[in-house]
Amino acid sequence: MKNPPPRISQLFFLAIFLVLFVMTEYRGQDQINAAVNSFFRADPLVLFSCLLAEKAWNWLLLPAVLMVLATLLLGRFFCGWICPLGTLLDLVTPAIRKSAPISLLKGNARYWLLIPLLSSSLFNLNLSGLLDPIAILLRGLTFLLYPLLGLTAREGWVNLYQLIGERRDSLAPAYNLFRDNLLPFRDTLYPLAFFSALLLIAIFALERYETRNWCRNLCPLGTLLGWLGRFSFFNRVPKGVCGDCGKCRELCPTTFDQGILNKSECILCLDCQTGCPHNRITFDARLEFLPERPLVPERRVLLGGMASGLLLAIPARFRSPEKLSRLIRPPGVRDESDFLKKCVRCGECMKVCLKNALYPSAWQAGVEGFYTPLVIPRLGYCEYNCTLCGQVCPTGAIPNLPVSAKRREVIGKAVFDKGHCLPFAKRIDCIVCEEHCPIPDKAIRSREVKIIGFDGVPKIVKEPYVVDEICNGCGICEFVCPVETKAGIEVFSVRNRNPVAEQVSSSPHVDAYGQSGYGSK
Amino acid sequence: MNRRNFVKSVGTLTLMAPLLIREALAAVDQPLVAVAEGSDYTAITRRAINAVGGMKKYVKPGDVVVVKPNMGWDRSVDLAANTHPLVVRAVVEECLAAGARKVKVFDNTCNDSRRCYVNSGIENALKGMKNVECKQIEPERFKKVPLNGQFLKEWELYDEALSANVYINVPIAKHHGLSRLTLGLKNVMGIMGGNRGYIHRNLDSAIADVNAYFKAHLTIIDATRILTAHGPQGGNIADVRVTNKVIASTDIVAADAFATTLFGLKPADIPLTVAAHKRGLGEMNLDRIRVVRV
Repeated sequence: MKNPPPRISQLFFLAIFLVLFVMTEYRGQDQINAAVNSFFRADPLVLFSCLLAEKAWNWLLLPAVLMVLATLLLGRFFCGWICPLGTLLDLVTPAIRKSAPISLLKGNARYWLLIPLLSSSLFNLNLSGLLDPIAILLRGLTFLLYPLLGLTAREGWVNLYQLIGERRDSLAPAYNLFRDNLLPFRDTLYPLAFFSALLLIAIFALERYETRNWCRNLCPLGTLLGWLGRFSFFNRVPKGVCGDCGKCRELCPTTFDQGILNKSECILCLDCQTGCPHNRITFDARLEFLPERPLVPERRVLLGGMASGLLLAIPARFRSPEKLSRLIRPPGVRDESDFLKKCVRCGECMKVCLKNALYPSAWQAGVEGFYTPLVIPRLGYCEYNCTLCGQVCPTGAIPNLPVSAKRREVIGKAVFDKGHCLPFAKRIDCIVCEEHCPIPDKAIRSREVKIIGFDGVPKIVKEPYVVDEICNGCGICEFVCPVETKAGIEVFSVRNRNPVAEQVSSSPHVDAYGQSGYGSK
Repeated sequence: MNRRNFVKSVGTLTLMAPLLIREALAAVDQPLVAVAEGSDYTAITRRAINAVGGMKKYVKPGDVVVVKPNMGWDRSVDLAANTHPLVVRAVVEECLAAGARKVKVFDNTCNDSRRCYVNSGIENALKGMKNVECKQIEPERFKKVPLNGQFLKEWELYDEALSANVYINVPIAKHHGLSRLTLGLKNVMGIMGGNRGYIHRNLDSAIADVNAYFKAHLTIIDATRILTAHGPQGGNIADVRVTNKVIASTDIVAADAFATTLFGLKPADIPLTVAAHKRGLGEMNLDRIRVVRV
């Protein structure tokens, strides 16, 4: 079998996607030059939902505008040439035996997905990422498959150590190569791992009924691209199936089961052209001012879809207040509703997070916040000098800030729980939190207090306290707190996330031993 | 000399002899602390090592050597939270020159270890050196060992430190919120695993316990610049004082005792130094320490 250009392109972009996925991690550089976010920035579904929700232009999404223009000119080529999920489906589908297509999915099912998604964006609920194919793929990889790979490899390596001890070192170079270039640095378990994988598996399972089932009948990105693609000036000649052959029905992964090429479904895979026994088929560029009809789906679907978007958007706002107190967003997110308008829930910030502080929200942020990132400080803290999440966020929901600005961004405030914190609860020294607090002037400080220990012996204990004005809520205090299970200090969400004041470091400084500082010898 | 005087002298001498002999022996046994000063950190590190007998005294050809700096924090070199990379590099070079088969450099960091290795400048300073390993900690390598100490009965220590032929402790001298200073003794935390926060409830005793079990062959304290407040991680250049010194000794307590004076403190002000001295881990009285300035 020959490799027609679309196939080569598909494999090329799949490879790029996987390489970028692996590159979305700290590798000794403060800046990540290329990450999977390029795919989202070129994603028209992300573009439209963000524009509708933000009601403002977003420069980060310029590539998606180019993609829209290209689709208007060329048709739905993204699905047949670029989409990594589509490529994976094409790779596995020959091995899956087909039964009859599901009739429920025919007709307007795809519009019932796309239109509510877009219309709810208009009401500030940007859910497009939930069903965006690239986001589904990325989340499946990030939350389940990649950790699985990491854990399996690492556990194998550890078992080897238990088996042969330091002699393992002779194999280390090979393993290190693998570890440094492919494996995740740290193994993380994510909530929603199974759900994310199930969504992905479901898409593959749909291949049991027909080829590219998801792409034709459900995918909101595909539907959007198909709608744009019907204006393209690339036309197949002949349009329909030839009376004497009909092989197109068999070759075409999408549209020829209807006997005619629907531009909104044709993914320009060119299989009909390469496979035609008579070499009759060409794709010609010609101007045609009669795009496929109907231009808009039935009024019933259009209005019904828009109404359901509204119905979806308003009740989804419910949030339980006790969950909100611990709803800590990534650094730089100052306003929750602004954040929700832009976040496409792609999972990249969680993938890149240096200390695995970010996790997908399952219920903490209500329905509207499903899959959005939140910090769980007990599992990982926000590293003071790291700006990676802002760098990889495709839409700027997490702003890309220089490190000096990011350090001052407030994600929450730390609060002591005197029932757990050792100096209060047990009257013994600890202050691990003060030690780890990264704020140069220390947002956690301690004072020496004369106290009678529980054994009746008077002693001096260092009691810690939080200096609210300079605490940025990074959460390292909660992360390192040595109290088992529940920490003695916890970070809580705050409404006022104005950055903490810039620290004056040039002023003369008297150090802890009463000597004046820098430069004296 | 008449008889009376002779008997007197002999009597006095006989009575004094044990004391005198002890004093004389002590003068010989006084731990040596070498202090090199200068702004060429590679050179002063070498001078300090040479003043305590040269690296060949400690490292034999074919040895596996662990050089354990403090690189626990994601801070740049000027902020004095981590051992100076030039000091670490000089120590590693001396080990190699003495014939070490392999030199391993690592630390169990507090911040993200990748960032610590990079931003401390140490990983980069050792890049490309043959037979030098600057590896991330691998959690499976921590081994539970019976310390039988006063506070810690057992703890997990890093097997690469345990199995090395020579262990060289290369801390930086800095302020610490709980123990006032962190110097040579406390740097042993970098080979400890487990819930290290736990030991803070009795930090001095715990650190003394580990040091009693696990002893460095040589301690080289980086005091090229010291962190005088907001330790152990600092972050404010105003808290840093440039002191241009490197201190070396086989007596970890003596090295710490001398380093303490750079902060204007006395060794007795640091409970950990006192605890270690009481355990017989080294000398903390400055007048019983022989300081050689080079």
